[in-house]
Amino acid sequence: MKRKMSIAKRHNLTGWTFIVPAALLIVAMSFVPMVQAMILSFQSGKGTALSFVGLSNYVRMFKDGVFIQSIKNTFFYLILQVPIMLVTALILASVLNKKDLKFKGFFRTAIFLPCATSLVSYAIIFRSLFAVDGFVNTVLIKLGILNTGYNFLGNPTSAKVIIIIALLWRWTGYNMVFYLSGLQNIEYSVYEAAMIDGATAFQRFWSITIPLLKPMILLTAIMSTNGTLQLFDESMNLTSGGPANATITMSHYIYNVSFKYVPNFGYAAAMSFLILVLVALLALVQMKVGDKRD
Amino acid sequence: MKKRIISGLLVASMAFALLTGCGNKSEKESTESSGDENTLTVWCWDPAFNINAIQEAEKIYQKDNPEFQLEVVETPWEDLQTKLTTAASSNQIDTLPDIVLMQDDAFQKNVISYSDAFVDLTDTAIDFSQFAEGKVSASIVDGANYGVPFDNGAVIACYREDILEQAGFTTAEFEDITWDQYIQQGKVVLEKTGKPLLSCLAGETDVLAMMLRSAGGGFFDEEGNALIADNEILKEVVETYIELVKSGVLIEVNDWDQYIGSLNNETVAGTINGCWIMASIQTAENQAGKWKITNMPKLDGTSSATNYANQGGSSWAVTKGSKNPELAADFLGSTFGGSVELYDNILSTGAIATYQPAADSEKYAQTNDFFGGEEVYTKIVEYASEVPDTINGVYFYEARDAVGTAITNIIAGADISTELKTAQETVEFNMQ
Repeated sequence: MKRKMSIAKRHNLTGWTFIVPAALLIVAMSFVPMVQAMILSFQSGKGTALSFVGLSNYVRMFKDGVFIQSIKNTFFYLILQVPIMLVTALILASVLNKKDLKFKGFFRTAIFLPCATSLVSYAIIFRSLFAVDGFVNTVLIKLGILNTGYNFLGNPTSAKVIIIIALLWRWTGYNMVFYLSGLQNIEYSVYEAAMIDGATAFQRFWSITIPLLKPMILLTAIMSTNGTLQLFDESMNLTSGGPANATITMSHYIYNVSFKYVPNFGYAAAMSFLILVLVALLALVQMKVGDKRD
Repeated sequence: MKKRIISGLLVASMAFALLTGCGNKSEKESTESSGDENTLTVWCWDPAFNINAIQEAEKIYQKDNPEFQLEVVETPWEDLQTKLTTAASSNQIDTLPDIVLMQDDAFQKNVISYSDAFVDLTDTAIDFSQFAEGKVSASIVDGANYGVPFDNGAVIACYREDILEQAGFTTAEFEDITWDQYIQQGKVVLEKTGKPLLSCLAGETDVLAMMLRSAGGGFFDEEGNALIADNEILKEVVETYIELVKSGVLIEVNDWDQYIGSLNNETVAGTINGCWIMASIQTAENQAGKWKITNMPKLDGTSSATNYANQGGSSWAVTKGSKNPELAADFLGSTFGGSVELYDNILSTGAIATYQPAADSEKYAQTNDFFGGEEVYTKIVEYASEVPDTINGVYFYEARDAVGTAITNIIAGADISTELKTAQETVEFNMQ
């Protein structure tokens, strides 16, 4: 006798067959290591000589001056850079979305291009641009603004500002592309109707573009927050965390603890989990604030 | 239906193959690296320098052991450290090569963190007494030798003779001097030629570490405790360093390229570093004959002060991942620890021996036209033998960063003893 499955059951089975391989891979490659890292974060010791220490790694990080400094630095980048970047990207996107603009394709590509460069090479280029005898100083001296070269990367504040400038240069175009694709989905007739009603350009931007782009803005905000909290390359390659840890990020410090100093992987794993918690919390806040769909 | 089941099975088997494939790969790699009985694998990083040296050593060893083969894998130091850490902390020691070259500064840290990863070479045929004492101490852990010394890191002071002349000095007047005299003469050079005497990396403590070591000091005491806040030698070193920066005799740059640039572009009139810096200086061919070498200045207020120190340099270590550690030890012992011929062959690349018998070789008496036609190699070997024994410590990189931070803050106007106290606390915190 043939057993017949119901249609619903068969559909379910097909669905599961498609999902299971990918799900298994994700579990094995991503979730298992996560759990292992979680277990690791409750251990401490040099290199391989690890022993369970309970929550002491989590207590330890709040007494660690350098780690606290790195949290402050990271949030400094986050608070200044993400809003500036997203607003700039939004403005650029709506300018480049104008129907009658010429060479649109060229401008879009040019602004998007920075994020296709390698993280390390752009950091090194920024470092040489802002060197004491670098391009920026040479221009400033030639223009008579400065007498001698200013050590941009040697001063805590200016070094932080340069990291922010570098981040803006690289990531604004990336976010702009998201907004552009969002803008394509807004019916032009909505703008026409607003224009007939006498809305100014700013009113159209504020009352039509922004509300309709909200899901996209939310997405980019979460992605940028996540990216900034995990910032590593710029701190590592542009400033080496200096001067005096003024620009070191959390990920950079975690790298130092794991690979530069006497390795303490338990403590490094615990700090990584703090980043995870921070990312999750901030994403939650942003979703609560930004998403009013239900 | 049948088709669906088959395709389902296919997908499942592919996933299975993928998953198990990952597991197999690491096993395969480990067998590959060990190879057959007479082949050794080596990780080191500089084709013009240490890779060339180990290949010369291979040729010499092959004369007596024709079967012997070496497989050299070019691995930059940062990558080597990361790979080493990863392999050792995941208990995959058999993925390591037979021999690794290790920076002396990182030697203690790696051997103590991963005591199961390295072979104790004390009881092998290698005669460690033939090497300079200050050099061997870098690779001794708990009285046991874990490394065969390779290149010399004896500190030399290089000066541009032509620039000094414009200020009315000669390099000879910088020999056996103190830092006070150095600063006084440096001010004159700066005034007359506009060029500082020295450049170094901001926030890095290379110059400080050289000053410290020249007086037999370090960031740690003999028991391995951090010795920063109450370190009288360090205090004098920091004061001298601040004086150097304030007087303009020392100029701080932000990265290594700028440092090398300051030498090659005539921004500065000299430098002080491990003797391996000669290779970088010689890349500016138009400056041939204008450089001269002498010893470094010494501290004024410390009784143990000398004009000699060690900076950089590396040693060969045998890993427990080796299938044939006896062969590896014998290879290193009869080449780097026993062959004058090897050191003669690699001298032209700037690899100066810490193996004392090599220094008596005729080759070392040769003159170098780039450095004023003097017998620089004899000089450097002489300096190396004078280097005081120092304690590097397991937590050297932690101390280096903490003191580097303190220095940056002190230059910006912070109080010396408060900053050193903070550095001490930071290092102690890291050591917990």
